[in-house]
Amino acid sequence: MPPLARAYEALRPKILQRLLELRSTLDPSLGRLDEATARSQMGAVLEHLGNFIATGDVGLHRAFLHTFLAMRAAEAQSPASVLAMLVAIGDTAAQVAQEAGAGTTEGAELTLLLTRVTASTARLLNDLIADELARRKQSWGDMASAKRGSS
Amino acid sequence: MNQVTPTPPTGIRVAGDTNVGKVRDTNEDSLILEPARGLYAVLDGMGGANAGDIASQTARDAIRDFVIQKRLAFSPKQLLEAAILAGSRAVFESAQANRERHGMGTTCVAVLVVDKSHVIVGHVGDSRCYLLRGGRLQTLTRDHTIVEELVDRGLLAADEAERHPYKNVLSRNLGSRPDTKVDLLELELKPGDRLLLCSDGLYGYASAEGIQYILGSGDEPQHVARDLIELALRGGGGDNVTTIILEAPAAPPSTTQLVRTNGAMAWWQKRQTFLIVAKDRGLTRNPIVRGLDPKDALDVVALSLCQAVFHDLEKSTGVNVWTFAQNLASGWFERGGEWSAVRSMMDILGTASRAVVDEIKVADGKLGFLLDVAVSRALVVAELALGGLLAERLRQVDTDLIQLHTAMHETVDAPTDDTLDTGERFVDRPTIPFLRPDRPVTGAGVTAEVIDGITKTITIARARTSPRAELVKEVLTALDAIASEGSGNFATAVLSARELYGVRSVDEQGIMPLFDALDQARIVIASAVHQIQTTESNRAKVLRALSVAHQRLVSAMTGLVLEAVAPFSERLREIQQTTSDLRDEVASAERRRAELERRFATNIDPSLPWGSRGTTEW
Repeated sequence: MPPLARAYEALRPKILQRLLELRSTLDPSLGRLDEATARSQMGAVLEHLGNFIATGDVGLHRAFLHTFLAMRAAEAQSPASVLAMLVAIGDTAAQVAQEAGAGTTEGAELTLLLTRVTASTARLLNDLIADELARRKQSWGDMASAKRGSS
Repeated sequence: MNQVTPTPPTGIRVAGDTNVGKVRDTNEDSLILEPARGLYAVLDGMGGANAGDIASQTARDAIRDFVIQKRLAFSPKQLLEAAILAGSRAVFESAQANRERHGMGTTCVAVLVVDKSHVIVGHVGDSRCYLLRGGRLQTLTRDHTIVEELVDRGLLAADEAERHPYKNVLSRNLGSRPDTKVDLLELELKPGDRLLLCSDGLYGYASAEGIQYILGSGDEPQHVARDLIELALRGGGGDNVTTIILEAPAAPPSTTQLVRTNGAMAWWQKRQTFLIVAKDRGLTRNPIVRGLDPKDALDVVALSLCQAVFHDLEKSTGVNVWTFAQNLASGWFERGGEWSAVRSMMDILGTASRAVVDEIKVADGKLGFLLDVAVSRALVVAELALGGLLAERLRQVDTDLIQLHTAMHETVDAPTDDTLDTGERFVDRPTIPFLRPDRPVTGAGVTAEVIDGITKTITIARARTSPRAELVKEVLTALDAIASEGSGNFATAVLSARELYGVRSVDEQGIMPLFDALDQARIVIASAVHQIQTTESNRAKVLRALSVAHQRLVSAMTGLVLEAVAPFSERLREIQQTTSDLRDEVASAERRRAELERRFATNIDPSLPWGSRGTTEW
């Protein structure tokens, strides 16, 4: 496992704890969850981030985000809200890394890495939302054509 | 005024000042400012026939000479104690030698700087040493007065001490006896700490709050020393006043400060690099800027982002980059533009940003690294803004799809029922900033089949709601009534809102539980509607009817809340006016009081004896 991935794993419980403490202020949808659900939801994101840091596999990251977006949509959470939540989780992780590793090279590098991972996450989510938008526009076009044909 | 430049070995900055005051003719205070030896002191002399100034000057010279001559023979703590005792002996011997000087004496508060974070404080009498740390002022010395000693022995209550006629009579001083007891304190300084040495002419005529305010102002030490004296003079200036300020070196600037100052400036200085890289990467060929002159395209997009990042770095915010991204993409999306063009543009801008950061890293690795994090963060903010726009587009298309789907089925079913009422046009006012306001939402058509679907959805939603969530259940009942009624007017929504409003008092628990319940109800309905057994077309109608009902209920509820707070707003305005009037009255009274004090101070006969202070050794 790369050293930064190891450093992240060591920090993961602390990040989760901070997220649980701050969840109401980070994002309203997180604030509404009870602690067990929030722990499980945010824990899953953090675990996945660890995998992404360790492997750098963008395909896997995208697949995870796709599933995550679909699950949150089933709970009537908007894509914008999901994006805000994931960015808030990434920001908090970077902040904890910065505090824990203040003055050390590893702490600084992990902070930068987590900020970049958050940027990648935001971009991938936007790609997914844009894909979905394109699909629905296509559906609308097909339906509009069908309606014109039937009338 | 005495001023001292920074002392190179310790980095501690020092300044001192003294003033005769508004009442006395002579200044009996003395001060020592010896940066080369790290010695600073305030001495306040006393004794009739001009002996007070002799006493403080004699002690000053003796203390300074002792430290200069004997500094290698003692430890710092012993050195300061021995020096102050030498001062006492010198004053005593001088008084013994001259009959007119009998009984003269002086206070002394002195600091010996050991290193940049370590000082010794020694004192005799009622001149004081204060420490300002983290914005809080604390007194490090205890006055050597008879009254203080009585309080310490439990013979006098603290509140009585303030009114005691002998509150200024010293129990210890330098000069009334050859030896005296010196109180010593070793202090570890923290970055940014400020020490204040002063005579009673300061704290006797200035409040602790005023001293704290000026000492914590962040002004240069020489300005602070002068301003404190001004404060005492404004308070009456009834005594000589002397101040010395010592300031420990400040902590190195935080990373945030570095980014806000050096980082922002370094970023802006590299804007040409940003523009060149953006151009090389094809910014001017991006479809978003098609039709624009290449220079205009670079100015409108690249330079704008560069400026936005600069301002956000300067203020540690993200609002400028957010606005930039919204301006860039919203018009493009409105014109039917594709995400791929925005994505490509952001990639170009990201590459240009990294080029700038890499150049800064070469010149200053640490600053470059901090900027790398800050600029990456700015690009995340841009993505957040773009995601908001994309999500809004998605919502619009979803709405259009539902409408089209419904219209198609209505065409096929050819409804003849008059109750199929599309209702009046309802305006949705979303609360999320990036949503476009004033988007019309048409009313729902309500048939028996839809009402059945509504009832079933609400039943499932109620079953899935926790028994303790009474408020959510109330909301669900209200939504059932509004959606089923379907007349297109607000009457049912307003009535339901009034009933719900009574469940929670705005005063006692705020309105958030109510709006949280509305949100919860929306979520549980969105899920429950998929559980009912019906056609897809009817399911869409049910969801639409309940969505419209939800929007109407939220609007009606908001109206009630605004109505409820209106009287309080009026009252608040009245109170603000009253407060403002009172402030004016207080300011006027303070001006009058200051004027009276000024007259009082100038009317005092300066030849009167000092009176209350004595030299009694107790």
